[in-house]
Amino acid sequence: MNLEELYQKIGGDYSRAIKVLRIEKLLDKHIRKLPANQIFAALDQAGKDMDATALFENAHAMKGITANLGLVHICDLASVISEEFRPGNPRTMSDDEVRRIIGDINTQFQNAVTAIAEYTSSQDS
Amino acid sequence: MIKSRQIQRPQRVLVVDDQEINRDALGIILEDYYEVLYAENGRQAMNVLQDYHGDISIIMLDLMMPEMNGFEVLQALKADDQLKSIPVIVLTADKSAELQALQMGAADFITKPFVDMDEVILARVSRIIELSEGRQLISAAEHDSLTGLYSRNFFFEYAYRIYTYHPELHMDAVVLNIEQFHTVNDLHGREFGDEVLRVIGSEIRAFLRESEGIASRIEADRFDIYCIHQNDYASLLERFQKKVSEISPNISIHLRMGVKEWQKGIEPFLLFDRAQVACNKVRGDYQTPLMIYNEDMQKKELLNQQLLNDLRPAIEHHQFKVYYQPKYDIRCNPPRLCSCEALIRWNHTDLGMIPPFSFIPLFEGNGLINIVDSYVWAEAARQVAEWRRKYGITIPVSVNLSRSDVFDPTLVDRLVRLVKDHHLDPKQFKLEVTESAYTDNAQQLLDVIEQLRDLGFEVEMDDFGSGYSSLNMLSEMPIDVLKMDMKFIRNIETSPTDLRLVQLILDIASYLHVPVVAEGVETIGQLDLLRKSGCDLVQGYFFSPPVPPEEFELLIQKECETERNGNI
Repeated sequence: MNLEELYQKIGGDYSRAIKVLRIEKLLDKHIRKLPANQIFAALDQAGKDMDATALFENAHAMKGITANLGLVHICDLASVISEEFRPGNPRTMSDDEVRRIIGDINTQFQNAVTAIAEYTSSQDS
Repeated sequence: MIKSRQIQRPQRVLVVDDQEINRDALGIILEDYYEVLYAENGRQAMNVLQDYHGDISIIMLDLMMPEMNGFEVLQALKADDQLKSIPVIVLTADKSAELQALQMGAADFITKPFVDMDEVILARVSRIIELSEGRQLISAAEHDSLTGLYSRNFFFEYAYRIYTYHPELHMDAVVLNIEQFHTVNDLHGREFGDEVLRVIGSEIRAFLRESEGIASRIEADRFDIYCIHQNDYASLLERFQKKVSEISPNISIHLRMGVKEWQKGIEPFLLFDRAQVACNKVRGDYQTPLMIYNEDMQKKELLNQQLLNDLRPAIEHHQFKVYYQPKYDIRCNPPRLCSCEALIRWNHTDLGMIPPFSFIPLFEGNGLINIVDSYVWAEAARQVAEWRRKYGITIPVSVNLSRSDVFDPTLVDRLVRLVKDHHLDPKQFKLEVTESAYTDNAQQLLDVIEQLRDLGFEVEMDDFGSGYSSLNMLSEMPIDVLKMDMKFIRNIETSPTDLRLVQLILDIASYLHVPVVAEGVETIGQLDLLRKSGCDLVQGYFFSPPVPPEEFELLIQKECETERNGNI
């Protein structure tokens, strides 16, 4: 499996990611690091605690990372959470709705993690 | 040759972002063009800035970071004099943060993520660095780093703007100098000298906080202040002098000040020129170190400028005339015409006859006296040769040798060629040297005199006794004739002291086996006393004032007559 195939599998935007990081080597580096990124666990915990500050900060950071990596679905979902909890913005969703979106993020993330594992094993073997 | 790239400082970009992917995304864009440094948060960024002593061209700053966020970094930069001039580009995904960042001093912003942004990022970074470096260069050029005052060009530009756009402000020009500043540096070291300059700069800035104006260290120890008219410049000078005196109680440093008060229509550059003239007038005057430029100085300055401008045309149009004053040998009875001194006169087309004291010191001051001297030498040699053809006798002539002639490497050759061209014996072309030629670089003068005497020229020491180092000069410089200054002669009929001094000088000359010429002899009484005292030769109005060549010929004719009668 190559990088483009990985992106197809996880529904990511390869061309966008390569426009940001410019070389495959860098994209490879950061996609391999994604499964270990604690931001997903941190957002999940913030959702459980319904901690507005942590929700905003983690969603905001996730939005940045996934935007750079061309993981557009996760990026869109993180953006919704980030705007929901941006200081000064009025709340528009219920807590359940928020948790549901975080659940969607987790699902997307888990799919990506599985696919990335396949990608790395195919590359390294 | 040094290429322009080699004089560029290294351009460093500090990327501050807690997300490695953002740092990498920027790094990959920038690394081909800049030295890129990275920091994961604001705290790390501040450490990098300290490590590099602020020598960073630009900061790319994320706003949301742990430990110390971007806004806190902007605040810390603003508060630090060394760091506040470093431009910052804020990296943000939030439109709402942009305005706040710009208000806090960010130069620009770039929106994350950096999709298809490489050209935009490079262009922004490059333009902002260029602007910032331009600003830094201007700022460095605008101020003198030692005193913090304006540098010369900026000072005059700003002074000119004040003059042009605020004619209601009546600004005076003040020039402040340190007496013998080079000696202060030589004796106490450059660091001490710099400290003196810093103290003066600081006190001038303090003064300008109280009174409107601007100031500059124009060069070395010259300070120019363009300020609203002050009623008491003596107090201002005293204020600066007091500060300087406080630096070290054991070292005395003296300031002098020249002022040109506001005058309608006189632009700053000219105003300061005149203040400088006033300041130069009090050079070395520790009792009255302040001079306000006045009309007499202006007239004198204008006259000097006119004379300087007119010198070369005057030579071309033969406005200079050489007059001759006879010297008589009083050992004979009646006294015999034995030689003469060539003296310059200037018959100016517009100004009429100008006395030598009006232009000789002026030309001596800037080296132009060489032109005048050369003219006199050529004319005198020609004249003596002409008299020889006409009357069959050679009247030796003495000419002046100025201090700046001594430094002319062609001097000896020129004099040799001159006497050769007119078939004169070098002995018949005598050179009068004054004490002022001796005081500056005596060795150079002694070398030149030695060469000239070896070639047969005779050297006369002029104005002996008029200065303080005549005896020094006499002990070191071989001479052929001693010319006693006229001030000794003036009162010998009434002052036994002066007569005794004259006798002492004659004794010295006798001891050295050199003849003495007494200058300024005007009366028969003076002549008798000099003769009785053993003086050899005299020059003065008693026999004749300096006269044009045609009148001098009458004296030659008379001498020829006497000789013929003597022979009968």
